[in-house]
Amino acid sequence: MAGRGPNLTRVSENTLSSGLVGRQGDELSSAGAPDGADGPDGAGGAAPAPPMALEGVRILDFTRLGFGAQATLICGCLGAEVIRVESTVRPDPIRVMPPYVPEPGSSGEGFGAATLASATSAASPNRGGIFYKYNTGGKRSITVDARHPKGLALLRRLVALCDVVTESFAAGTLERWGLGYVDQRAVRPDIVYVSMCGFGHEGPDTAQVTMGPTAQALTGLTFLVGLPDRPPAGWSFSYLDHVGGYLGAVAVVAGLLHRARSGRGQHIDVSQLEPATALSGAILLDALVNGRSSRRPGFPTGNRRPDSAPGGAYRAAGDDRWVVISCRTEAHWRALVAAMGSPPWAAQPRFASFDSRRVHAGEIDTHVEAWTAQRDRYEVMDLLQRAGVPAGAVQDAADRLERDPQLADRGHFTRLGNDEVAPLPLEGLPLRMSATPAHTGGRLRRGPPTLGQDTDEVLRDLVGMETGEIAALRAEGVLS
Amino acid sequence: MTAVDTSAPGRRARAPAPLDGVRVLELVDESAEYCGRLLAGLGADVVKVEPPEGAPSRRLGPFLDDEPGPNRSLAFWADNVGKRSVAVPAGAEGDAAVVRLATKADVLVHSLRSKEAEARGLTYDRLASSIPSLVVCAVTPFGQSGPWADYQADDLVLMALGGSMAACGYGPGPQGGYDTPPLAALGDQAWRTASTYAAIAVLAALWWRDFGGPRRARGAPGDVGAGGGGGQFVDVSAHECSASMTEWHCMTYLCSGTVFRRGPHPALTGTDGRQVAALNPDFLGPHVFANMLAMLESQGVAGELSDPAFADPAHRAANYRQVWRAMKRLAASNDAETLYRLGQSAGLPWGVIRAPEEVVDDAHLQARGHFVELEHPELGRPVTYPGAPFLAHASPWRLERRPPLVGEHTDEVRRQWDVPW
Repeated sequence: MAGRGPNLTRVSENTLSSGLVGRQGDELSSAGAPDGADGPDGAGGAAPAPPMALEGVRILDFTRLGFGAQATLICGCLGAEVIRVESTVRPDPIRVMPPYVPEPGSSGEGFGAATLASATSAASPNRGGIFYKYNTGGKRSITVDARHPKGLALLRRLVALCDVVTESFAAGTLERWGLGYVDQRAVRPDIVYVSMCGFGHEGPDTAQVTMGPTAQALTGLTFLVGLPDRPPAGWSFSYLDHVGGYLGAVAVVAGLLHRARSGRGQHIDVSQLEPATALSGAILLDALVNGRSSRRPGFPTGNRRPDSAPGGAYRAAGDDRWVVISCRTEAHWRALVAAMGSPPWAAQPRFASFDSRRVHAGEIDTHVEAWTAQRDRYEVMDLLQRAGVPAGAVQDAADRLERDPQLADRGHFTRLGNDEVAPLPLEGLPLRMSATPAHTGGRLRRGPPTLGQDTDEVLRDLVGMETGEIAALRAEGVLS
Repeated sequence: MTAVDTSAPGRRARAPAPLDGVRVLELVDESAEYCGRLLAGLGADVVKVEPPEGAPSRRLGPFLDDEPGPNRSLAFWADNVGKRSVAVPAGAEGDAAVVRLATKADVLVHSLRSKEAEARGLTYDRLASSIPSLVVCAVTPFGQSGPWADYQADDLVLMALGGSMAACGYGPGPQGGYDTPPLAALGDQAWRTASTYAAIAVLAALWWRDFGGPRRARGAPGDVGAGGGGGQFVDVSAHECSASMTEWHCMTYLCSGTVFRRGPHPALTGTDGRQVAALNPDFLGPHVFANMLAMLESQGVAGELSDPAFADPAHRAANYRQVWRAMKRLAASNDAETLYRLGQSAGLPWGVIRAPEEVVDDAHLQARGHFVELEHPELGRPVTYPGAPFLAHASPWRLERRPPLVGEHTDEVRRQWDVPW
């Protein structure tokens, strides 16, 4: 622990409740090992690491990119054993796509105009920054050529040893290899097979392709980010890689629970579309039930929400700095007025009721912004929060990593590295479990695997192969 | 798990759901209702505890026919479909009823901060001392600890603090500076993300309690252990959930020191004025360009892209403006739906930008049986809801109950759960 800021560990002095101090202490001992060496044995003779919720569940993981990898990241952080099957010939595109974790002493490139077509300049398949984010959770990496008959045979042996198979290829890819659900079932009758593919494996459009932004457009989510009477601004990132991945994780655990009670496995077909349709909530029902189209003047409403007035984003001091404020109750409004020093404008009768404040929201916004613009965004946030008003600084990535005291205190970032990359603060599972703590480094307490890092170990310890047998497979090009 | 409830009609004959027989008690405000909706779809018996006048979310609009009323809130409907409702009195009497219900439940999902749970006698320690098998999941804005633990938040505040808002919005104006604010998506995305993580943690905790746990044999896949892991407390911080949704932004900053600045997503406007999200054709790999070129040539708009120099990805990257202009020529003669299909026919990850309700007309989702009509007998008409978030034919998603009226199932649940009042 010594010498490391509290924001870079999973540990906090705060306990969930008094009865759990001992368990928190266990977590402290394992997470407190030196950077990059948080292995189960790295705790230096302290109490053993606490159990993890999905401990003993083994996943053979063919996912790539973000959507599928997010699902197995979550499972790994919950303690599942995740064995990534990769290829040295066709590495996961996000292994070779910028931004790259820079070499020590050099400066890195931004995401910028990253495309898979221009990503061939990667010096190493182990420095891809996005790969790094999505592939902690203690995932192992093995390299096997699925197109080689002996590679296919090996993968079938691995399927027989696993509870779950996950993948995010185009529909039909695993079937072509001879590893589709029928083939999996032949060697492991109760396998839980979770496919994560843009349009899923059933339906007329299965051959179409999505990235997060595609699915966001098709499901109405892009439409929900924008100012009135302008084209939508949309999301600048793949929100549905995340949401799709969350539902992929739900599918894995639900499939295991179903198997436990029925004795039967199944193929669960996760697309990137269906996880999104319920996310527009009442906006969708307003159209379907009341017939109120979302394509109407004034909609979407920018940052204005129906249940707050005033509410929205206000300029703060500094270059393009903003703070949001939401007054949802009379008490919020009175506290805001008091915090601003009870200016005379706020006492006008037309601002006396919530409904009336909604009508005059634009006028109030101008007054409020004149006040916030003079102040630092965090100063406004803290002043208002201490008065009981919902408020928050608009934070970017640097703010989250370097300024946010809550994320730091909660141990949101965990430093993990690997043989090629020095430890970096990585995001883990954003929750705490008292009996079975999650860990960003998974059961292995380690960072993302280098390509093929665990091939020998998995073939030896799990499949039970002799060293000579492994060497022979490698010589034949099966392990590439 | 609790014995399967065979009193519900039709339940005996069906394939078991992942959460068959699991009883979930829900004591939440609008922030965490989506969690229970997901658990209900997986087959849990989700019982919502409300005060006699109804949960606070029943006062949120929009309302059916724009007439407010506790049983007319569409915001409530969206996240409470599939649940049952029990009304309990306010105050100590109601909190005691919650404890009695919890003794018959597997899971309690609540949205109480630690001080509030303390004041109401609903702390995890107290519940666990009499109900050790109970999984308690608290979904709160900032989690149960930390310097902001007592701060207030709505979804907008969480979207701001979490980072997605800073990265979304329109680009700089003509003068160079930003003349519009960063934008948060509508639809309570931070709360829904937190609710989804809560559902994942509840599932994992139930697995641990019933089928994993200390006695599960390591290295013996398929072995269903005797369980015995017991219940536990899950502390979900919506702020942390919101902060983890922005894909590559933190890594980009760590790798390069670059902070992503907001700008609109690339979109083409079709002849009907509607738009298509149109990612760079190179995004999925160099093979896609050849397909796109063939499509553009067949449509007669390829222009300079037919120059063999464009076969080189580096040349395309350096001359992306010309690639974009060719895509705009395609847009100038097609409506958005046609554009979307033309792009997809060439393997491009393009998607037409739909309003939320336009998703209902999607033939692909219809073929997958996604949308579900539920009868609302009190209205004499059905309402369409989004259905299964994935296809699991051996354990189909369950969406069979319309959202409950206030306290509609109070007597029924007391009887079935055998809870004295």
